[in-house]
Amino acid sequence: MSICRTCHAVDRCPSAHRSTNEMYEYCRSQGIPTIFDRYQSQQPQCGFGMQGICCQLCSHGPCRITHRAERGICGATADTIAARNLLRLAVHGAAAYSHHLEEAIDTLKATALGSTPFRIGDSQKLQEVAMGFGINVAGQSERELALQLADRLLADMHKASREPLTSLSLLAPPSRREVWAKLGVIPGGILSEIRDALTKSMTSINTDPVDLLLTAVRLALATGYLGLMGTITVQDIVLGSPALTESWADLGVIDPEKVNIVAHGHVPFVGTAVIQASRDPEILSWAKEAGAKGINVYGSMCTGQELMQRSAASAGGFAGQLANWIAQEYIIATGAVDLVMMDMNCSIPALSTIAEHFPTRLVSVDKVVRLPGVSEHVDYAPEQVAAQARELIRMAIEAYRRRQNGYRGLGSQGNHHGNGRPAPYLPPYKAKVLAGFGLESISRAFGGSLEPLLAAIADGTIRGVVAVVGCTNNRNGHDTTGLAIMQELIKNNVLVISAGCMSSAAEIESLMDPAAEARCGAGLSRFCREAGIPPVLNFGSCVDIGRIVLAVTRLAALLNVDPSRLPVAVSAPEYLEQKAVADGIFAVAFGLLTHLGPVPPVAGSSLVTRVLTEDIEGLLGGKVLLEQEPKAAAAAMIEHIEAKREALGL
Amino acid sequence: MKPARELKAGCLLGMRRVMIDAGKCNGCMTCVLACAGAHAANDKSIIGGMMEKTPPRIQVLPVKGRAVPLLCLHCEEPACVDACMTGAMRKDPKSGLVSNEGGEQACVGCWMCIMACPYGAVRQHPDKKVALKCDGCPDREVPACAAACPMDALIWGEVDDFAAGRAMKTALALLEGA
Repeated sequence: MSICRTCHAVDRCPSAHRSTNEMYEYCRSQGIPTIFDRYQSQQPQCGFGMQGICCQLCSHGPCRITHRAERGICGATADTIAARNLLRLAVHGAAAYSHHLEEAIDTLKATALGSTPFRIGDSQKLQEVAMGFGINVAGQSERELALQLADRLLADMHKASREPLTSLSLLAPPSRREVWAKLGVIPGGILSEIRDALTKSMTSINTDPVDLLLTAVRLALATGYLGLMGTITVQDIVLGSPALTESWADLGVIDPEKVNIVAHGHVPFVGTAVIQASRDPEILSWAKEAGAKGINVYGSMCTGQELMQRSAASAGGFAGQLANWIAQEYIIATGAVDLVMMDMNCSIPALSTIAEHFPTRLVSVDKVVRLPGVSEHVDYAPEQVAAQARELIRMAIEAYRRRQNGYRGLGSQGNHHGNGRPAPYLPPYKAKVLAGFGLESISRAFGGSLEPLLAAIADGTIRGVVAVVGCTNNRNGHDTTGLAIMQELIKNNVLVISAGCMSSAAEIESLMDPAAEARCGAGLSRFCREAGIPPVLNFGSCVDIGRIVLAVTRLAALLNVDPSRLPVAVSAPEYLEQKAVADGIFAVAFGLLTHLGPVPPVAGSSLVTRVLTEDIEGLLGGKVLLEQEPKAAAAAMIEHIEAKREALGL
Repeated sequence: MKPARELKAGCLLGMRRVMIDAGKCNGCMTCVLACAGAHAANDKSIIGGMMEKTPPRIQVLPVKGRAVPLLCLHCEEPACVDACMTGAMRKDPKSGLVSNEGGEQACVGCWMCIMACPYGAVRQHPDKKVALKCDGCPDREVPACAAACPMDALIWGEVDDFAAGRAMKTALALLEGA
């Protein structure tokens, strides 16, 4: 399954990446268990949980549905339990996205008032969006517009569920809005939608599986139009919209002679402030005094993608992307990292256990992030982030000094590492990345319009577009399924755009290097060569799935068709956590064929499975594809694209 | 090989055992929890076993992405009994159950039984220096694992009935294939 080229033992390698496989072996040799070991020790996993037919909501439970017990104690069927569990997963995703958005809005406000180190990075977008929200822009200062927009967005978040979401009516294609209105799934404010969904999914309130699924659709629409598109819009306004830029990925970018800081998570504000502060000559002199060659700020997870996407804007000097979710422990295991700043989402509890063996200092930089064993917190506050960034760098320099003095973490006393200054273990691999894609930068790359891309799709040079997005998962081998699908698609002249952990996967395997055109079919290869772009376009972090939706919306508008008629599809081939559940349901609601792997926990309900994979297409235009074999999944998406082309007369 | 007649003459026909239908297992581990509970010192429930941290005697193995339950088969000619140096491991002539507990001799933890068992059904006790294996739940009407299995992957029944069920399935398949 692995595409690693290190040796012939491909079936035994847990990851698609050489660097991750080597780090895994290194940790094993040190007697330190990591994610792949924990995965094995969890096998076999319970079939009731995997199929979504275990209900643990009330104290009569857990109830599990079997051929002997077709109903739970309250009478709930497999269909009710699976649909309710799915809705509860989506609620978690919606809540985390809302948290991110609220931080972004707070930052926009504080920036407008001049109390953050950031300056409005995209004033044109500010004007456009403010106008969309009905704000009178004539003669207004940037500061006034930003403050008013922040208030409008906050008000949109806090609307009642019966008041239609303004962001949706502003950004969604009219043909989609019609479909959603007919089904009664146009959402109100996201906080009200979260409340309603949680209320409905309590025991014995709403037990109708179909209504629960429609509630999930409604919630996902609120998540998409506020949590995703609202968040990226505000982040672009504050930090600048992505512009094409070169960067690097994989663990080989770490320079052990520098003070090494990793921005890990999803929210880019602290990371950006730290990068900006690290260029301050005074702060740089602190690092030099400590004997370091300089200060490097790297990225991990989605925060890394955010910084990479804006390294031609607010995050200039970004040192490169290290890894995605599955490989987060190995960043610390290099022994060359001084500080990991954990912002909202995706800091696994194992980070603090592995940090016991290495010099790395962990600090949470968001008030919602707490891990057992992590006692240092610098919780992000927009008005204080300039000072917080200096404090974080000071902490990193302290850790650097300790690292140079041979400190190997709490667990190092008299252990196998021995005395003296231990050498870091750095796999020597790194890959070049062309990043910074988005609607604006793609238009710019084509001389100011999307016309060349449309023409290539129309004449068949490019057959269509698939967004390969979302998390990374152990179940089929770290990044293995995602990379296999991407490679199969580009070989068949399908352009891939990616976001989230899948972006890291593609970066590390050089699919985001323009040289990857050599791995494409003839048409796509020619197109990429002429445009100077790679066949897998980095759209950024998982919240940038919103950026992909906006791009598809524009494509549909230019062709004057509903998004469901476009030769496009979505794949979340290694989905992992709850935000991805909300994203996946959104993609279906947006009218797109949505491939999901692994199979989400609904397979125990034939009704929920049938609705998601078949019936929903008649209502929303999109549906879920559950093919788990990567080549067959790619083939099914290509077949879908060809059918859509034919229907459009292309 | 003993002739079939002798088998008939003994108490062996009509013998009940926990039979494994591996294809039905979904890896929920309820059997493992129920086994641990049944062997707890005080509260013999699943919760009791978890609180006392009683070691289970049945395993569920991950095999090629599937789950397979495995427990002692209480063989007619048990290799573990033959290999046992102290005589602790014995086959009860009446019930046919094989166990190293409750006899006159004590298990000394030489692990000969572990080496001898072709099925890997005997394990090392995690806390004591003795071998640990399924005792067949002699005090229960139905062994705890089979009673707890929600998927019918572990079936308490007559050995020959299990064979009859399998034979009928095969016959049906042959008919449909014909």
